[in-house]
Amino acid sequence: MGNYQNMQAVNHSENGVNLKLLHAAIRFNSMILGLTGGSLAAIIIYFATHASMARWGEDSGNYLGLLAVFFPGYSVSPTGAWLGALWAFVYVGTFSALSYRLYGRVLGTRISEILLSTTPTENPVLRPSIMRLHGMSLGLAIGAMAALGLFCSTAWLVIRGTAAESVHAALLANYIPGYSVSILGGLIGAIELFALVFLGCLLLAAVYNKVVARRHT
Amino acid sequence: MRRPVQDHEILSAVFAKMDAVALTIAAGTLGALLLFLATAILLLQSVPENYPVGPHLSALAEYLPGYAVSWPGSLVGAGYGFLLGGIAGFAAAVYWNLAHYVALGVMLISSAELAD
Repeated sequence: MGNYQNMQAVNHSENGVNLKLLHAAIRFNSMILGLTGGSLAAIIIYFATHASMARWGEDSGNYLGLLAVFFPGYSVSPTGAWLGALWAFVYVGTFSALSYRLYGRVLGTRISEILLSTTPTENPVLRPSIMRLHGMSLGLAIGAMAALGLFCSTAWLVIRGTAAESVHAALLANYIPGYSVSILGGLIGAIELFALVFLGCLLLAAVYNKVVARRHT
Repeated sequence: MRRPVQDHEILSAVFAKMDAVALTIAAGTLGALLLFLATAILLLQSVPENYPVGPHLSALAEYLPGYAVSWPGSLVGAGYGFLLGGIAGFAAAVYWNLAHYVALGVMLISSAELAD
């Protein structure tokens, strides 16, 4: 780990960037973010299911039970909580991993911009720097994934023939004008959601970077 | 012209630590804004008289006592949004840093075994 300088001689592109190391770095962090996001989502679904059962008993599952449309086998029950956790891990883990992959790809050779300091440290692995967020790349990556998620889930409702009964999904039109549970509505919704998530990510990165700058410089 | 990125910068970026306090504040701010706007957008839409406003979003009151789809409720919602977003941000930052430490530990053990 300490002699990472040995890697410098290999796989450099024309402008001197070690692309093999860069791509390995993106893959590694994609996996870490996938595990992070997936585990957190699984924990949330597991406890939300149990909280719903504890709060409403026999009547629980009115809203949470709708997840069964996307989580086959899920129900607001002790067994359902485990199944829900599994599906949440798979969906959110995949979403998170692909988001980081896209983030890394968009960021590309500007990866040093996410570091608070680019001064070489004694050991960047054991004495890590503080991370900054690149708002534009983050917005593009998460926005694209969220848009794809909305389009795919809308398309799934249309394909399974329950579009007309999907009154809860249709309520999204309150926040995303033009959205409807149809292929065209899903497409319009995806474009608008991309813009909204992009703006949200810009705000998140701006606040995060401001606090980091205040605390560490 | 941009200078080429150095190897130590790539490695630093991979293992860079997330600032848990900063992510707590940032995610909290976003959560507050989100719940405030979600409520405000419903309040600004015209609904027939005696028709309930945002009956589905109002169901959040079951989990968030004091919340309602009303202007005072939107402020309460912003407070809850900050709290929940902050918890999510803090958990994500801690989990991210922890996952890196665990991965690093596994790599160090593997490399030590290979060296033996």
